Amino acid sequence: MIIIGENIHIISKAVSRAIDSRDTKAIQALAMAQSQAGVHYVDLNLGPARKDPIPMTEWLVKTVQATVDLPLSIDTLSPVAMDVGLKMCKRRPLLNSVSGKAYSKEHMLPLAKTYSAEMVMSVLTDKGCPMDVASRSESIMDMVAYANRLGIPNEDIWVDPILLPVSADQGQAKEVLEFIKILPDILPGIKSTLGLSNLSNGTPPQRRGLLNRTYMIMLGRCGMYSVIADALDRQLMALNRGEMPEIVKLVYQVMDGESIDMASLPADARDYVKTARVLMGEKLYSHSWLED
Amino acid sequence: MQYRAPVEAYTGTVREITIGTGAKALRMGGETALPFHFFDQGAIPNPPRLALEVWDMPPRDWTRWVVEPFQDVISDPVKWAQKCVTYGADAVCLQLVSADPAAGDTTPDTAAQTAKAVAEAIPVPLIVYGPDDEKKNAAVLARVAEVCRGQNLLLGPAVKENYEAIAKAVLDNGHCLIAQTSLDINLAKELNIKICKSFPPDRVVIDPESPSLGYGMEYSFSITERIKQTGVIFKDGMTQMPIIANLAYECWKTKEAKEDRTQGILWEGMTAVSLLLAGANMAVLRHPETLHYVKRIFGLK
Repeated sequence: MIIIGENIHIISKAVSRAIDSRDTKAIQALAMAQSQAGVHYVDLNLGPARKDPIPMTEWLVKTVQATVDLPLSIDTLSPVAMDVGLKMCKRRPLLNSVSGKAYSKEHMLPLAKTYSAEMVMSVLTDKGCPMDVASRSESIMDMVAYANRLGIPNEDIWVDPILLPVSADQGQAKEVLEFIKILPDILPGIKSTLGLSNLSNGTPPQRRGLLNRTYMIMLGRCGMYSVIADALDRQLMALNRGEMPEIVKLVYQVMDGESIDMASLPADARDYVKTARVLMGEKLYSHSWLED
Repeated sequence: MQYRAPVEAYTGTVREITIGTGAKALRMGGETALPFHFFDQGAIPNPPRLALEVWDMPPRDWTRWVVEPFQDVISDPVKWAQKCVTYGADAVCLQLVSADPAAGDTTPDTAAQTAKAVAEAIPVPLIVYGPDDEKKNAAVLARVAEVCRGQNLLLGPAVKENYEAIAKAVLDNGHCLIAQTSLDINLAKELNIKICKSFPPDRVVIDPESPSLGYGMEYSFSITERIKQTGVIFKDGMTQMPIIANLAYECWKTKEAKEDRTQGILWEGMTAVSLLLAGANMAVLRHPETLHYVKRIFGLK
């Protein structure tokens, strides 16, 4: 799977401070760490970028490109910051993101065309976030058709189904898997990505990685093309390199409803099985799902 | 071809818990089917139970038509509780309002002595709700548990901030525990997992919080429903506890209940009926006419 490293993220206090104080070293260290971890893209999440979007974006893109030679994903709600960011990218960038909202269609989508960028396209519309396979499909097909009319091919579009936290709406994990499965049938050639860590938002920090990794295995099986993820989670990167085949097999078994002899498994494998059962909706989620 | 109605068979069982002892013992829960699904396979051994509430201090802002049925006993929790029994309550729910630091800040011991006097004066089991203040409540319930040792009261609410101290006192003194979370099924399960590390699950009752009709009842309805479904259909051991709907306070503080007598009783009644249909095993009511109304609807004696 293509990994977009999420670690340069404005919501992180350390990142926010580093950007405010133009701390080149701190930002470059984060970019370098992700590159060494093996990410394929570095995401630069600038959030809404309301204050001085232009100098901030210029500085950040320049700083990161001075130290790593990876393509960037420019992640902001501000069309001004997006314009500057895409313009400066040395390699073909990923515009992150456009949606079915009228404002986004009008102000973001044209930028992808201008800079010949690939783009993340979410299923959000002005009506909100579609919550089931049918309404996600309807929303994204409208939006892709619109992009196609502007001359953007399916191959340049990375569909984001919008993943909600399991602690907020447990059923969504399975809905998203179903949607990812049918995506190549409804939109041939299309790519896909999502914010993996959002799954574990609200979950106690020490258990977030396990949720994210388990779900990444499930997504992979359903044909997911990419995730925006925590590149500094070593196990996640190892998993993506195919280094945990036993765990992958177990998670598949849960997805297939096979019975598993828990007693015969080592503790960490048991945790993956329990987590997969929660994500498949077999067990009601609670923060203590491993003790359940 | 003849139509044959589908019949579901469930695999999970709601735990049956008993509160009170001897002749007072009252069972709740124990069902192996969804609420009122008499047409499916499975048993519903116990009907919904209905408690009337008693305050340990004379209420100041109750509307006239809720005070009326208890006019002569409103300053005496023991007599008030006895009157609830004459109205036909299956249990009495003592609200230790006076122990709240914002009300009278009665000491834990005083509150506990009231609970003991009430418990001993009635032929039905006693439920005790301590004050909202979670710190004070831990002290109050621990003392109530000690003073009423062996009477198998239903005590609460234990919340995530204070469950350890309360659960220990409740267990050591032979009572049952109310585990309360705020309108969230995941948090309800979470608290049960934590409590049950050192407490028997068949002595726990879930309080998912019960807002009134018009003020968020549908949240409680859907959570109650889902708790039952996860317990009965998916056999989730941590959601198989009976449920209590402590709704009287929520209903009678609404504008609608205070506006008009009949409307108030119906307001409380409709909230109770709805939550019982969703799967609550015990409802705490305030007005005796509501009690009669709910009993009539469900055909209870």
